[in-house]
Amino acid sequence: MEELKKGGIFTISDMSNVRINIGEVVEEEEEWEPMGPHPMPRIATLRNWDFKLLNRYKPFYAPVCDMCCLCTYGKCDLTGNKKGACGIRMDAQQARIVLLACLVGCSAHCGHGRHLLHDMINKFGRDVPIDFGPEVDIEAPLTRLVCGIKPKTIGDYDRVFSYIEEQIVQLADALHTGQEGSYMDFESKALHMGMLDSLNKEAADVIQIACYKLPSGFPGDGPDVPFVDVGIGTINTNNAVIIVIGHNVPPAADIGVYLTENGLDDKVELGGICCTAIDTTRVYHKAKIVSALGRQLRVLRAGIADVVVTDEQCIRADVLELCQRVHSPMIATNDKAMHGLVDRTDDDPDKIVDDLVSGRVPGVIILEPDQVGEVAVRTALEMDKKRRSLKFILSDDEFNYYVNDCILCGGCTLACPNGLPIGEANKSAAAGNIKPLADLFDICVGCGRCEQVCKKHIPIVDVMTKAAYPQLKEEKGRMRIGRGPIWDSEIREVGAPLVLGTIPGIIAPIGCGNYPNGTKDAWLIVKEFAERNYIVTLTGCMAIDCALWKDEDGKTIYEAHHGGFGGGGVMNIGSCVSNAHIHGAAIKVASIFAGRPLRGNYEEIADYILSRVGACGVAWGAMSQKAASIATGFNRLGVPAVVGPHGVKYRRAFMSRPDIKEDWKLIDASDGSEVYVEPGPQDLLVACETVEEALPMMAKLCFRPSDTDRGRSVKLTHYIDLNQKYLKTYPPDWHLFVRVASDLPLATRDVLLKKLEDEQDWKIDWKKKKIEAGPIRAYNPSFNPTNLERLIRGRK
Amino acid sequence: MGIEIPFDVANIGGPEAGGVAPPEVIGSYISSASRPLLVVGSELLRDGFFLDIAIGIGKKGIPLAATGHSIKGFVEKGYMENVYYYNLHELTNCLRDPNWKGLDGAGNYDFVIFYGIIYYYASQMLSCLKNFATDPLMRTVSIDRYYHPNARMSFTNIMPRMEEEYKEMLNKLVESIKG
Repeated sequence: MEELKKGGIFTISDMSNVRINIGEVVEEEEEWEPMGPHPMPRIATLRNWDFKLLNRYKPFYAPVCDMCCLCTYGKCDLTGNKKGACGIRMDAQQARIVLLACLVGCSAHCGHGRHLLHDMINKFGRDVPIDFGPEVDIEAPLTRLVCGIKPKTIGDYDRVFSYIEEQIVQLADALHTGQEGSYMDFESKALHMGMLDSLNKEAADVIQIACYKLPSGFPGDGPDVPFVDVGIGTINTNNAVIIVIGHNVPPAADIGVYLTENGLDDKVELGGICCTAIDTTRVYHKAKIVSALGRQLRVLRAGIADVVVTDEQCIRADVLELCQRVHSPMIATNDKAMHGLVDRTDDDPDKIVDDLVSGRVPGVIILEPDQVGEVAVRTALEMDKKRRSLKFILSDDEFNYYVNDCILCGGCTLACPNGLPIGEANKSAAAGNIKPLADLFDICVGCGRCEQVCKKHIPIVDVMTKAAYPQLKEEKGRMRIGRGPIWDSEIREVGAPLVLGTIPGIIAPIGCGNYPNGTKDAWLIVKEFAERNYIVTLTGCMAIDCALWKDEDGKTIYEAHHGGFGGGGVMNIGSCVSNAHIHGAAIKVASIFAGRPLRGNYEEIADYILSRVGACGVAWGAMSQKAASIATGFNRLGVPAVVGPHGVKYRRAFMSRPDIKEDWKLIDASDGSEVYVEPGPQDLLVACETVEEALPMMAKLCFRPSDTDRGRSVKLTHYIDLNQKYLKTYPPDWHLFVRVASDLPLATRDVLLKKLEDEQDWKIDWKKKKIEAGPIRAYNPSFNPTNLERLIRGRK
Repeated sequence: MGIEIPFDVANIGGPEAGGVAPPEVIGSYISSASRPLLVVGSELLRDGFFLDIAIGIGKKGIPLAATGHSIKGFVEKGYMENVYYYNLHELTNCLRDPNWKGLDGAGNYDFVIFYGIIYYYASQMLSCLKNFATDPLMRTVSIDRYYHPNARMSFTNIMPRMEEEYKEMLNKLVESIKG
């Protein structure tokens, strides 16, 4: 018989008309860990876990639209929680829309991951090993946890994506009219979608790390990855400039390869916007990060790009129009974002370059990543010569004309997502003070809606950019390149202090740049927590934005802090897909530090994380549907997240009620007893109005029932101190987190005991400095908290 | 009442949009509440005048929930008589529950006044109350310089150049609330 292999065909002699096609060869799997109870969970498999979460963190809905217009029964008015013609109530409709958002976000990551896998298999073959070096043994914690698979090569991810894709279709099916009717079940499905999304992200990053040899667990990686330049001011416009935008790195990687192989590294600048920028710097260390998503419009309008290369996600829908405005040819490289251009894949590069440079076409599509580098670089070199004399920043006369032309009608303010006082800033500029206008540049989210409604046709974006140009030219930050996975050895070091609470928590700033008040808030969040010895792990646009600001010593936050997964560390984990490594770090704490079985054991690990790992995500500028699915994925794993005020437009939050005692009943797994506990974490998804409010909120969401008294005193110190620093008062609920006098910070113990006595009527034994009555529960150092009865080890 | 476009022009929820009203009408409406609550946000801190208006309403016996970081202003002003810090999202989560005990333990409120809160955040919270705090009905108004369709009543949009007119409206409003 011939060797069995996938796609093989063989016939059996003596049997006519029999031919067998080999679809899949199942190899005997290494017995690396016994299979847990829930490998490859389906929609209903983890529903009980979801309902435990949803019964404590009850879904909260704030509709953006009071109607449903998804079928021809409607439009239906659902105001006041009325039912639509199909029978769906407003609450379920909101949950349905949340599921839809998570579907879109999860599909974006799944589509990206699958696309990447195809490209990588085409380029490198299926057998690229997943070997992340001596420091990373658990290479893919989510893949092991959710699928029960220990991936050895990138080809193993075929099975993982097949599982995800099947689940996505089943979940999408539930959105149809006449399917799900319960908001709780819609939310359980959204949590399932979020979990799949986290798995997608890990798969995508594992594949690109393995194939492109991105930083992982080898010497020089992890805490020691190199730095990269960030900011519009770091781009050398004396060279030809290529700007890449999106999330899928192979085309940009090919540009880097072409530059290196042709000795053009010093003649062409390769810069990026958004996550492709981060990933490009992981592949090609001479690349630069121009900006996060929030400045895309303004970077393009500033005309610094001689060529724009787009791949997928977070690309402005009007990108081609923007490129044409500044004579930048555009190359679209992904079939999900083709922008009406003509597909020129496999055409002669000479002809494509000639068409682009001559302006015969505004752009082209090249779907084969390895054909992009040559065309992009050659076009950029030619366009640089042609575009050198062109000016895209307004002249002083133009600027003065426009600011004087403003009639203060207020239309721009009504159109602005942040309601910025643009007219008043114009008025100040007309009177000679451009500072108010320049100050708006960073707060502006760069959408351009203002220009469309301006009765005087003022190019407001250009006017604002002109005002801020002196600062923009000097915008030169630094950040570490994306380090990828947290090392197992780092987890061994910090597992105990994290679970015991002496490292007060992991703060994970992630996601988009739809901030209420500019990028500096991102920097402040990182600075505040890193200086307090929290572990700060960043990905995506927040990782970029916080690198734009410097301290009094002229250092960026990355330069001022070490890059290790330890107290005070500030890590750029990587692009959006890399934030799966933040899930991974929490999972590894459960697995490596606590020895919990990992394989196919999602529920137990999530239960462990919810009760013990003081981690809190913050998506201060969350904007996209991906951010919705990302946050929901964190939530199912037991990690809370804080969003900025725009985050309320996601319609749904998960908040508990500390005043409802029954919601806070846990089980002590040691003896099966029921224990009423303090609200830690109080919320799974909550919005704050300002960064001053968000900082103490994040500290609060790091409390966990498992905290030791020493750990609790550290967490209380920061919670109280952040409140006093930013809100000028004690938090009204700090007493809820006190179980015993030793929970109180030593330096202020007497003061706090007195407050407990005076304000909460607690009984204090002042001779022994002991709390005699008052707390929700007594401190029990051997408390083994769980929400799962099946984990009870013995009955009282 | 007149017709106005939302401050964020696309913020059109559906058929039930609140009306625009002058300060005396809103003040009178507030006076009809049996258990009102003033919810204030961080935009209050941009000018001491706005803080004083909140305190003026507080002195008429209406308790204040200070959300965002607005509590800082009350602490610095030395007015903490009936002021409670609360996160707005968490507060709204409580307000939608008729069984909530309230900030003082005496039960939920029948009337909520929004003031000094970022427009879109306030709008979403008002949307929650409009849609889910319906039994018993919770009445809502906004006294910000924005038209809020999700509140039952609010002012018209007032551009920054009209700041003095807005201040005058707030003064009239406080005067018209019966203590």
